[in-house]
Amino acid sequence: MKSGKGNFLILSVLYSLDFEASFIRLIDKVTNGSRIEINQTGTTLYYQPGLLYGGSLEHDCSPSRGIGYYLESLLCLAPFMKHPLKIVLRGVTNDQVDPSVDVLKATALPLLKKFGIDGESLEIKINRRGMPPKGGGEIVFSCPVRKVLQPVQFTDPGKIKRIRGTAYSVRVSPQMANRMVESARGILNKFLPDIYIYTDHMKGVSSGKSPGFGMCLTAETINGTILSAELASNPQGQGEAVLPEELGQSCAKLLLEEVYRGGCVDSTNQSLALLLMTLGQRDVSKVLLGPLSPYTIEFLRHLRSFFQIMFKIETKTTEEEHTGGEKVLMTCVGIGFHNLSKTIR
Amino acid sequence: WKEDLTQKAAEAFLRQQRSTPNLRKLVYGTGTHQFGNLSQSVEDEDQESEDADDELGGLFRVSRPDTASKQKANALDCSKFLVEKPQDWDLEEVMNSIRDCFVTGKWED
Repeated sequence: MKSGKGNFLILSVLYSLDFEASFIRLIDKVTNGSRIEINQTGTTLYYQPGLLYGGSLEHDCSPSRGIGYYLESLLCLAPFMKHPLKIVLRGVTNDQVDPSVDVLKATALPLLKKFGIDGESLEIKINRRGMPPKGGGEIVFSCPVRKVLQPVQFTDPGKIKRIRGTAYSVRVSPQMANRMVESARGILNKFLPDIYIYTDHMKGVSSGKSPGFGMCLTAETINGTILSAELASNPQGQGEAVLPEELGQSCAKLLLEEVYRGGCVDSTNQSLALLLMTLGQRDVSKVLLGPLSPYTIEFLRHLRSFFQIMFKIETKTTEEEHTGGEKVLMTCVGIGFHNLSKTIR
Repeated sequence: WKEDLTQKAAEAFLRQQRSTPNLRKLVYGTGTHQFGNLSQSVEDEDQESEDADDELGGLFRVSRPDTASKQKANALDCSKFLVEKPQDWDLEEVMNSIRDCFVTGKWED
């Protein structure tokens, strides 16, 4: 990041993993002039940030983590590139650990739009699906650049008007997707009639290298808040086989848990929202969140170390009875970050 | 199981009471280490001398990660917020707890 220029970072790690190495290579690709040194035993990493450059790129992600792991970081950086980023990422599109590409597409992109990062080129396209352990999926992520971000005020999530979702299956019977949809609908229909879950069965090269199935669900409110939940089957050769009915039900219940947590941003994207608020213009931004995830708490500490910014954190107990758990109102004044490397035309 | 309900509610209330004022402490810690309280106008002299140690030539600041965050560095870094204690969504009262989050629920006014 531009404001990080002049600083350097030395990380001591016990062991570096292949996905971390892959991530460092990705960062090297999107930047210009980064200096990265890893010592011979792989225990120390010296990193001097370069300029966020962007452009048309491609990267093979390590299949030990989902593409979501890499994409999340790119979502944070992409709006501040010199040239709009268009990157092809190959690897695992859906797994049990990281937020899937489907969920990021459905939740993170609308969130970016609210900060003024929009346009036709803001897109995540899934060309091929790839499940662990072998992966073989491919996506294209493109994002426009912005000079400044808009401050936001999201304090009222509004009521959920519809539930959408995708049930996908690759290299297994296409019937799996239908079975997941049936069971998930059975639970969600008790709350809302407007439910549509797409079935997505990819064939041939588009289906990647490993079999699997899973489901992503999103609940959309009248104010445009999108909450998400997802589940994927166990990777081939690991753990017991899961019935699609069970997976569908569990996923629907996870969505209900997410609704219970509530807030204007779903739990996966809390940190992205807080980062974009921090980097906004010198104006007050507010966002109502569900309970803070451990990842978000750690992220807030990083925001303090890098930008010297502390959020005002207020716990809001809901006055109404049936609207889920406690919420947290996060307030901050943006640091007034400008993307100076953006070319002016 | 009904007998447990009042006790559970009391526990939940106490838990909430404890967690409410501590959220800021939980996130940013109690000490004024590193950048400390930005709003704090009067700083201890000890604190200032500590800060001076952390600064190189008055320009750069050496950030020293505390032990707690070093330990966390070895944990799985994943943004997903896993549900630790899933509620039983087949129960009517659990379902009622989020009933008004939907357009089909009760509206204000």
